[in-house]
Amino acid sequence: MAELLQYLISGLAVGMIYALIALGFVVVWKSSSVANLALGQLVLFSAWFTYGMLVQANFPLWLAFPLVILFSLALGWVIERLALRPLIAQPILSLITITLGVAYFIEGVVTLIWPKSVAALPRFFPTQPIRIGPAVVSQEYVWVAGISLIVFVLLTLFFRYHRMGIAMRATADDQLAVQACGIPVTRIFSRSWMFACLVAAIGGILVSSIGGITYGLVETGLKAFSVVILGGLDSFIGAIIAGPIIGLCENLGGGYLTPIIGWAGVKDIIPFIIIIIVMIIKPYGLFGEVRIERI
Amino acid sequence: MTLPSGTRNYTYAQDMAILRTKTQWVLMAVFLVLLLTAPLYLGNYLLSVANLIGITLIAATGLNILTGYCGQLSVGHAGFIAVGAYTSAVLTNRLELPFLVGLICAGLMAGLVGLIFGIPSIRVKGFYLAITTIAAQFIIIWVINHWSSVTGGFVGIPVPEASIGGFTFRGEASQFYLIFGIVMLVIFFAKNLARTRVGRAFIAIRDNDLAAQVMGINIFYYKLLAFFIGCFLAGIAGSLMAHWIGFMNAEHFSLTESILYIGMIIIGGLGTTLGPIFGVVFIRLLQQVLTVMVVPSLESTFTALPSGFATGVAPMLFGLIIVLFLILEPRGLAHRWSLFKSAYRLWPFSY
Amino acid sequence: MKNRKFVIFAGLICLALMVALLPLGSACGPEEAKTLKIGITTPSSGKAAEKGAPMGNANRDAIEYVNAELGGAAGYPIELMWLDNGYDAAKVVTNVNRFMDEGCLMFATASSAMMSASMEIANRAEFPGLASFTAPSLYRPPKHIYGQMPDYGDDALAFASYFMDNIWQESRKPKFALHLLNNPTGYGARDAFKAKADELGIEIISVDEHAATTTSEMESLTRIKASNPDVLYISSTPAPTAVIIKNAYDLGLYPGVTIGLGHAGITKALVDIAGADIVEGVYGVFPTVNWGDDVPGMAKMTEYCRNLHPEDEGNMDYITSWAQSLIMVEILRVAVGNVGYDALAKGDVDAWRALETQGIQKLKDYDVGGLHGPVNYTAGDNRLSKSVRVFQIQNGVITPISGWVEAPVVKYEDFDWFGK
Repeated sequence: MAELLQYLISGLAVGMIYALIALGFVVVWKSSSVANLALGQLVLFSAWFTYGMLVQANFPLWLAFPLVILFSLALGWVIERLALRPLIAQPILSLITITLGVAYFIEGVVTLIWPKSVAALPRFFPTQPIRIGPAVVSQEYVWVAGISLIVFVLLTLFFRYHRMGIAMRATADDQLAVQACGIPVTRIFSRSWMFACLVAAIGGILVSSIGGITYGLVETGLKAFSVVILGGLDSFIGAIIAGPIIGLCENLGGGYLTPIIGWAGVKDIIPFIIIIIVMIIKPYGLFGEVRIERI
Repeated sequence: MTLPSGTRNYTYAQDMAILRTKTQWVLMAVFLVLLLTAPLYLGNYLLSVANLIGITLIAATGLNILTGYCGQLSVGHAGFIAVGAYTSAVLTNRLELPFLVGLICAGLMAGLVGLIFGIPSIRVKGFYLAITTIAAQFIIIWVINHWSSVTGGFVGIPVPEASIGGFTFRGEASQFYLIFGIVMLVIFFAKNLARTRVGRAFIAIRDNDLAAQVMGINIFYYKLLAFFIGCFLAGIAGSLMAHWIGFMNAEHFSLTESILYIGMIIIGGLGTTLGPIFGVVFIRLLQQVLTVMVVPSLESTFTALPSGFATGVAPMLFGLIIVLFLILEPRGLAHRWSLFKSAYRLWPFSY
Repeated sequence: MKNRKFVIFAGLICLALMVALLPLGSACGPEEAKTLKIGITTPSSGKAAEKGAPMGNANRDAIEYVNAELGGAAGYPIELMWLDNGYDAAKVVTNVNRFMDEGCLMFATASSAMMSASMEIANRAEFPGLASFTAPSLYRPPKHIYGQMPDYGDDALAFASYFMDNIWQESRKPKFALHLLNNPTGYGARDAFKAKADELGIEIISVDEHAATTTSEMESLTRIKASNPDVLYISSTPAPTAVIIKNAYDLGLYPGVTIGLGHAGITKALVDIAGADIVEGVYGVFPTVNWGDDVPGMAKMTEYCRNLHPEDEGNMDYITSWAQSLIMVEILRVAVGNVGYDALAKGDVDAWRALETQGIQKLKDYDVGGLHGPVNYTAGDNRLSKSVRVFQIQNGVITPISGWVEAPVVKYEDFDWFGK
């Protein structure tokens, strides 16, 4: 029983990390239907930038964080302006490939500026774990969960009520119609990339405060894919619910299946099995918008 | 001097021919002679690059049939290559079967696994399907790593040299002939596939699957057929790669590799036979040029620069060139080539 | 507009072609001076860059030192051909082919995965290779590939024997729980325990696995805690090791059990990421000395590192690869001493054979400036150095607590489960 509680709590905690990174993916998809393959590299870049501000330049927190935010907004603007803008109205596959090019480029930039390959951020949160009955959870995870929820709420409110958010949704729906209404589509794309980079930066800081800054951050970014598929590519609520579901499945599946099957590492494969099953049963995810096509 | 402005066909046979003009015949012959005599004047290193290009080309042609012709985006190609590589490795190492059996079984096995993971394609497409194939890749690699009694698991598995009859393909030069023999077969097959009923059905499905279904095309059948053919070729490439490298370890089949395959066929040009050739040659040569020349020379020339400079510049240039190519020619190198060709044929009225 | 685009495009293609054709031009350069040529390939970019980049730097820095201050090997300057393999199997195969074409006498890799991809090409050509990070599959059964350092299985065995001799006080068999990275780094330790657990008198109660990207291992540690182990042995890299130890701390598993680490994990990065207070008292084994230790080779290494790659100071992998370069130089020196320069000058298969039998296999008690365990060749065992030292993290500093502990050779090929 104590084990079950522990699995549930750690599953929820780690799931919120996945959810946070997934949100960054959904932002871009929701406004331009572009799959951002550079997500992991964005996470990596912003984590290193934070390291540069906090450790190398030794800025205090109140100065470093606004700088990181400014940096990530600028990064998003630059990527959109230089790489994606020239490809407007080209096949969607070319757009996806260009994010791949951006991914390599960022990776190179990171190696160039921070050849030191593994580093640690200073500790933001106290080490004393929080006890919930017989189970424990580290404060880091609690903070991450809280911040993910805040990001989620802000994004949802923005997309529902703000003029720009509504315009973004409309753009994803029908670019031509939006242009006809006089909404500058290019600005919409630009903003959505800025938001995506911002969310990636928050994710990067939080994840690397737990596990250090390594190239592994890129693959943590990939994990977000399974979350967005389960939740639906264009749904914030989907991401924020699917994240913990994946986390729970990993923990419960790992906890109870590993002793039965005898193959260690069952946990790592569970998200992908979930993807295949979801794709067969509910192709657009739990909360994704079902597209009905007509000829 | 008379110059033809445009190429005209007077019979159906002429219209259908793959090589339609004298120039094409001559160029093709020159190219084949150059290719077949390559081991005479290329060193081991350049031959190994050529072999790598050949193996990649087989896999990329498969992916092009699946993604370029039939429109089913697959980002798990390295996983299917791994299935082929391990099938061949297990059959020839553990069961000591001949290489040809391993090669064909590798293709069939990869094709079958492709069929299984292709099933979701009935219901999903585009990026959703891409994620499904990513999942396929992770599941395949995980199974290979953990099914250690058969695959050798994390330890890896040695693969004997390829041999047919009593002849062993030892060294880069003899493998060059083996690999490029298969490459030619595969390209010929792919070129002709696109012109048959099946190929046209694929294209119809890519352009609009609903419309294709209304026209009476069995999309379930054809989508799965595309998965089978695409993954079959991936399996063949995997088998060749296993015998070429000589030792298999699942770490060689990363997701990055899968994504790179997609990049190659898009840079080359989707849905053309030439596209993968251009894309594969371009990417593989670019990688080599960066590793062998640019990085070491940067490293030795600019000693004052920060140490990440040389190694960081390689992926940066790689990414930058992909971005530039897509911005300048979003429809791929093959498109640019056909523009060039028609400009040449219509000369002097090429506007 | 259309035209300009075309011109730019054509220009790009021309540029690419020109760059591609350059090697043909440079191949017919003038005759070169009498040098000894070696090839080194490291994963300086890509997935394993965190280890590969400093290792490549160290390899180059060491050769520069040898050429500048020692006059090369036996009076012949060393020509180093260094290539980045990007942790890509296909690329490393072409790299090694290039080394062979260019007449290198031997080659070296950093990671074991890259060696496993290129070793058959080398074995078939009898081209000798030296891997710094190793796995049993590289040299069991022994062929033309050598290991610079003990592999991850040797780490595990050396730690276990140290534990039995010095830490374990009770009479029953200690219970070991293993937590392994999902690659040969992790599973090398499992295979070694599988082969030798009975002999050492320990009991393996569980084997768990984690990914390099893990952000939480509460689940596996909860199960491990329930099985009440005496030792948690982690064979992994610093970042996941830090996550595991932090989670073990949260769960109250540690302090309590003894934690032992393989040499991929016990680095300063681990202390930084997990926090010095949490990893206090963790044991680990490492095959080289630490930065700042008082050994003869330390001063020059530190000097060159500070001048050429200051950001790598403190990086343990740097020491490994610095030592790797020195060992290669020693091999060349021994070989030139035994067969003379002319037998090696060509860099063809005869030279490779001469280097292997008269260089590598004649290595005797080379101490690498005290930087790592003594280097010896024993017939039938292709590990050149077989010793590790046991370290403990004390007040946030990784402190040596033992002398060199030699790991026994394990004949993995005798076990059915190892495959052939």
